[in-house]
Amino acid sequence: MAAKILVVEDQPEIRRLIRMTLEFEDYEISEVSTAFEGIEAVDRLQPDLLLLDVMTPGSMDGLDLCRHVKRGPAHNGRQPSVILLTARGQQPDIDTGLAAGADAYLLKPFSPLQLLDTVKQMLVGA
Amino acid sequence: MNASYPSLHAEPLADTLQLERVVADLGRMYHERNQALEDVTRAHHEALLQLSLAAEYRDNDTGVHIVRIGFLAKALALCLGKDEAYACMLGRAAPMHDVGKIATPDAVLKKPGPLTESEREIMKRHTVDGARILGRSKIPLFRLAAETALSHHERWDGSGYPAGLAGEDIPLSGRIVAVVDYFDALTMDRVYRPAFSIETSLAMLTEQRGAAFDPIIVDTFLANFPMLLELHQYVTKNRPALEELIGPC
Repeated sequence: MAAKILVVEDQPEIRRLIRMTLEFEDYEISEVSTAFEGIEAVDRLQPDLLLLDVMTPGSMDGLDLCRHVKRGPAHNGRQPSVILLTARGQQPDIDTGLAAGADAYLLKPFSPLQLLDTVKQMLVGA
Repeated sequence: MNASYPSLHAEPLADTLQLERVVADLGRMYHERNQALEDVTRAHHEALLQLSLAAEYRDNDTGVHIVRIGFLAKALALCLGKDEAYACMLGRAAPMHDVGKIATPDAVLKKPGPLTESEREIMKRHTVDGARILGRSKIPLFRLAAETALSHHERWDGSGYPAGLAGEDIPLSGRIVAVVDYFDALTMDRVYRPAFSIETSLAMLTEQRGAAFDPIIVDTFLANFPMLLELHQYVTKNRPALEELIGPC
């Protein structure tokens, strides 16, 4: 069964590039543009992995969603893996994110091959 | 459409389209690269498996022993609660465990009587030679195969070779293959003795519980014996093609 990935990213161009990249592999990909929509999407889709932009608009950011997911109920006996997407120079966000339970982080502009490797690693280790 | 208001669904900019073209090409190259890597791994695997068969043909004319070892090692790993990925990889690695025998002289390998002390030392080298042939590859399968080749003659009580490892210091792969290899070899005719019966083979295996072999692995083997014996007989009868032992898990 194809792994389910939820992408939370507010910039449509970046979101599209992420989707195109992840489509190199046989993943089932869903996208939302805010962390708030992410909460609903996690409940509905029960993804195996979340790719979260830390800086999303609205009252809730990627880190809040990360916390929510990692505290929430486990699907199929496990919680989804979380990969954070952060801009360079956001070290405090990375630290906060890892403390909030994120499993890995990638710097923007993201490297497509690194993204694929990291996702694969997370899904195998899951 | 009023050109003075930007549409919400505006066409992507030319540079975005160009970038997407680049990503699409990257995707094609990514697939071609993965396919090429798989082809290389497969060719390498096939060569090593053929070499293992060549080694096997020297003291056993059918080669089915190493095929059984693969199937039995995988099944036993699953019985031990290991995950499918490890079990499958061990099943692929195990048939190559004796590839080092390709370097063992006929006078030693095919000697019908007991070996002298120096001949035994020569015989023992097949573990190290095997690990060397399988190499220090970056590919996990060949790393596991080398580990198995090196460690399948270690003994639980520490009196095995080449390193004299004991207990759980012996890699799991070596501990599993040691059990299935021992049992399977007992059930075969050899130049120096006929095959033992299943009952005698099981008694001899049980006797080595905690001595040569990991007691938990022996217990698991015995607890699942009807299934393992069926698999043993299935492989002997149906002789799965070499292709079934190659390829990604």
